[in-house]
Amino acid sequence: MKKKKSISELTLKTITKKQIKPIPRWEFMAKNWTLWAGIITSLVVLIIGLGLVIFGVIDNIISPYFWLIIAVVFFGLSYFLFQKTKRAYNFPKWQVVLVISIIGLIIGGVVFRSGLAKRIDLGLETKLPYYRQMAPMKIATWTNPEAGYLSGEIVRIDKNSFEIKDFEGKVWTITGTPLIRGRVSKIVGEEIKLIGLQIDENTFESTEIRPWMGRGQNMMKENY
Amino acid sequence: MIEEKCQNYDDNELVALSRNDSQYFYCLMKRYEEKLSNYVKRFTYLADEDIADIVQESFISAYQHLNDCDCKLKFSSWMYRIVHNQAINFMKKNKQSVKIDVENYDEFVDWLVADTDIEKETIIKHQNDDIKEIIEKLKPIYKEVLVLKFFEDKDYQEISDILQKPMGTVATLLSRAKIQFKKIYEKEKKY
Repeated sequence: MKKKKSISELTLKTITKKQIKPIPRWEFMAKNWTLWAGIITSLVVLIIGLGLVIFGVIDNIISPYFWLIIAVVFFGLSYFLFQKTKRAYNFPKWQVVLVISIIGLIIGGVVFRSGLAKRIDLGLETKLPYYRQMAPMKIATWTNPEAGYLSGEIVRIDKNSFEIKDFEGKVWTITGTPLIRGRVSKIVGEEIKLIGLQIDENTFESTEIRPWMGRGQNMMKENY
Repeated sequence: MIEEKCQNYDDNELVALSRNDSQYFYCLMKRYEEKLSNYVKRFTYLADEDIADIVQESFISAYQHLNDCDCKLKFSSWMYRIVHNQAINFMKKNKQSVKIDVENYDEFVDWLVADTDIEKETIIKHQNDDIKEIIEKLKPIYKEVLVLKFFEDKDYQEISDILQKPMGTVATLLSRAKIQFKKIYEKEKKY
């Protein structure tokens, strides 16, 4: 009677017959590097996203929702990709979530504090079409004269005052000797932001003038 | 012949040699064939032919992935992980649930009675079938961890590597398995 072949014998026979070979090491290494490159890229986008969310919330200049969505998506992607790494199972899920959150918030905070978030926002506005529609500027914040914030386009310049038309179309006379922050040329047609005090229905005493970020071309003045 | 040669090598050395010569992989298979078959039998309760298929597929998969072998782990943990996943996939595909087929419950009973009000004597008096019946009612993940701990004699690190769960989770699963066992035991008042 013929002896029944063991699993090992049958497997070796299959390996030989089908000429099965170990998958080359470089394929695994390439997969591994791609995975880690994906994790690092996701983390970088998450950090930038959180930096811009903080910028949107604290400086109150842009709406943070677009960047919040980006941050959430790339947080999920970082977590998902990390879970695919060989040793991920050694770490409890809550620890991974915590570490990604801490990295994102701390470095995102640095991105904001260093002014990089602001530069990224401005850079994307000029280089990425429709960016400003996705991350619109908060005009509402700057159309609140009762609270001391006003913005609009300079329409007339006099000796001791000038006039602006706010984004709702109302014309204001601006008085005072304001401190000029940033690149403000104070010429007709320029869009600016003002901090100060509302004197009456049409007069605003300005203590500070800032340029309107985005130089006007791509601003979303309707949706806020 | 080759088997005699292989006796001088440990698992990791054989993995390295197998990358260039499948004959050495045969030695590794020989070492683990029975252990892995028993393991699959213990937690799947499948027919011998199905078990043989699962183990064979696992060996082929392991051979193909030799260059990805995480040799910082024990080879046995890596191999158990492959066969475990292969068995789980087989059962999912065939819509079968995890079952337990074990013979010796001594260590399990010792663990079970520690810190519970279940008396060892009452358990021992009864047949293994009764214990098995309760284990069958546990969640699949509890059954898997129990098999590895008490019937495959794996330590926490090995179970963690095989099931790909943190060691803390392994401890939690064991503790929850005990609580669930006790609940079912009290509910059914089997003893």
